[in-house]
Amino acid sequence: MKKLVIASIVLFGIISMTFSASAGQKKITIATEGAYAPWNFSSADGKLDGFEVELAADLCKRMGVEYEMVPQAWDGIIPSLQAGKYDAIMAGMTITEKRKKAVSFSRYYAATPSVFIVLNENGFDNLKTEVDAITLDAINPEEEKAMAVLSKEFNGKVIGCQAATIQEKFLQQYLGKSVEIKSYDTQENLELDLQSGRIDAALGAMSYWVPRLKSDKGKGFKIVGPGMTKGPLGEGVGVAVRQTDTELAGMFSKAINEAIADGTLSRLAIKWFTFDASAKE
Amino acid sequence: MDLSLLGFGIDGWGDEMLRGAFMTLLVSIAAYGLGIILGALGAFLKLSRFFLCRLLADIYTTIVRGIPELLIIYLVFFGGGIMLAKISTLLFGGQGFVNLPVFVTGMMCIGFSSGAYSAEVIRGAVLAVPKGQIEAAKAIGMTPFTRLKRILGPQVARYALPGMGNIWQLTLKHTSMISVIGLVEIMRQSAVASGSTREPFTFYAVAGLLYLGLTSISNQGFSRAEKWAAKGVRSE
Repeated sequence: MKKLVIASIVLFGIISMTFSASAGQKKITIATEGAYAPWNFSSADGKLDGFEVELAADLCKRMGVEYEMVPQAWDGIIPSLQAGKYDAIMAGMTITEKRKKAVSFSRYYAATPSVFIVLNENGFDNLKTEVDAITLDAINPEEEKAMAVLSKEFNGKVIGCQAATIQEKFLQQYLGKSVEIKSYDTQENLELDLQSGRIDAALGAMSYWVPRLKSDKGKGFKIVGPGMTKGPLGEGVGVAVRQTDTELAGMFSKAINEAIADGTLSRLAIKWFTFDASAKE
Repeated sequence: MDLSLLGFGIDGWGDEMLRGAFMTLLVSIAAYGLGIILGALGAFLKLSRFFLCRLLADIYTTIVRGIPELLIIYLVFFGGGIMLAKISTLLFGGQGFVNLPVFVTGMMCIGFSSGAYSAEVIRGAVLAVPKGQIEAAKAIGMTPFTRLKRILGPQVARYALPGMGNIWQLTLKHTSMISVIGLVEIMRQSAVASGSTREPFTFYAVAGLLYLGLTSISNQGFSRAEKWAAKGVRSE
C-alpha cells in the first residue's frame, strides 16, 4: 500500500511537471525538424542551426517572449502540436489550404519556387520556355504556353518528388496525365534514384536545390525550366500554431513584417540559401 | 562514405550515434520488461477458468497483434495526449496539455505490443508442461506457490526462452518506430545526421551496424540462457 502511494505521487509529479498552460504564456516552445538543411538542421554536437533557427531567435526577440526550440521528426509534427507538445512549428512548412484546416498560420516569411532537376547528361535540351517563372493562381498566356512545353517534354517520363508535399500535389494536378509520378519518403532517397537514373527528373524546392547544386554532391545535377509558385504550390512558408492560438499567429505575423521592413529577413535568407528566398511585401 | 563524419567530439557524429544506440537499448529493455509482465498476466488470464478473463486477454492479444506498431504509437501518443488533456481539464479545470515524457510513452507503446506476443509464447510454454506433473504436485500437497516455483517456473522458462528470444529481437527493432514521437534513438539520430550533413548512406549504414551489433550480442546471451535452462534435461 505504501509503495502504491509513493508510486502515485511520483506519477502525479511527472504529469504535473509537464503540465503546461497555453494561454497568456511568456515562454513558448517552437518545433523544427532539425534535418532539413539549410532551413533547419543539427550540428554534430547536437545544436540546432539554420535559417529558421536564427529567424526564430530574431522573431521571439521582437515579440518579447522567451522561447525554446525543440527538434521533432516531420512525421507527426502537426499532431504533436495539437497534443500540446509545443506551441509553434517553424520547419519549412508551406501554407496550404489543407494544412489550414488543421492549424493556423502566421503570414509567410519565405517563398521558394519549385523547380525541375535533371542529371546533367540527361539533357532535356529542348526544354526551353520563354518565361522563367510561372504563378499558378494567376496564369497568363505565356505561362500557359510554358506549361504546355513542360507537359510535352516530360510526356511519358518518370518524375520524382517527396511524398505528401506541395510538389506531389502539383504533379498530380498539372502533369498527372502525361507523366508517371514517383513519391519518396525522404529527399535523400529521391536524390539517390535521380542519380541512378531510375527517375528522369525531380521536382523540388529551389531553396534546397540552389545551395545543393553549388556543393560537391550536386555537381551532376542541373535545374531545367521555369520556377513555379502559388496554386497547389502554396502560399509560402509560415509559422504554424494551434488553430485556437490566433493571437500567437498574429504576434508572429507582426514580428515577420518588422523583420522584412528592416532587412533582417532578406539578410538571413541570402546567408542560408545563397539567394533571396524571403517574403517581400 | 566519409568516415571523418563518424569521429567523436564536436565535429563528429560518432558519440551522438552511440548515445542513440544506448537509448535504443534502454528503451528496448524497459519495453521488454513491461512486455514480460503483461505477457505473464495475459497468459494467466488466457488459461483461466473464467470466460470473462479469457475474453479480456483474447481481445488484448488479437487487437495488439493485429494492428501495426506504428498505429499503436500514434494512438497512444497523440490520442493519449489529447485524452489526458481532456481528463485534466475535467479534474483540475483550466486549459492545458498533459504530456507524459517521451521515454515513458515509447516504452508503453512498444511494451504493450511486446506483451501481446509474449502472452502467446508464455501460454504455449505453460501448456507444454505435462499435466501429470501438476497433478502429481497437487497430490503430494504442494501449495500453488511451491508448484509455480518448483514445477511450472523452471520448465516454462525453458520452453519459453527460444520464443522470448525472438520477441526480444522484435522489440529491439520495433523501437525504431518511436523515432516519430521525438525520442532520439538510433533511427532518429541517423535521420537527423543524414539530413544535416546530406550523407544518408554513411549514417544509415552505421545505424544498420549498430542494430546488428545489439541483436547479435543479445542473441549470444539468449543461446547461453537456453543452454543454462536446459542443463537438467538429457539431450537426445
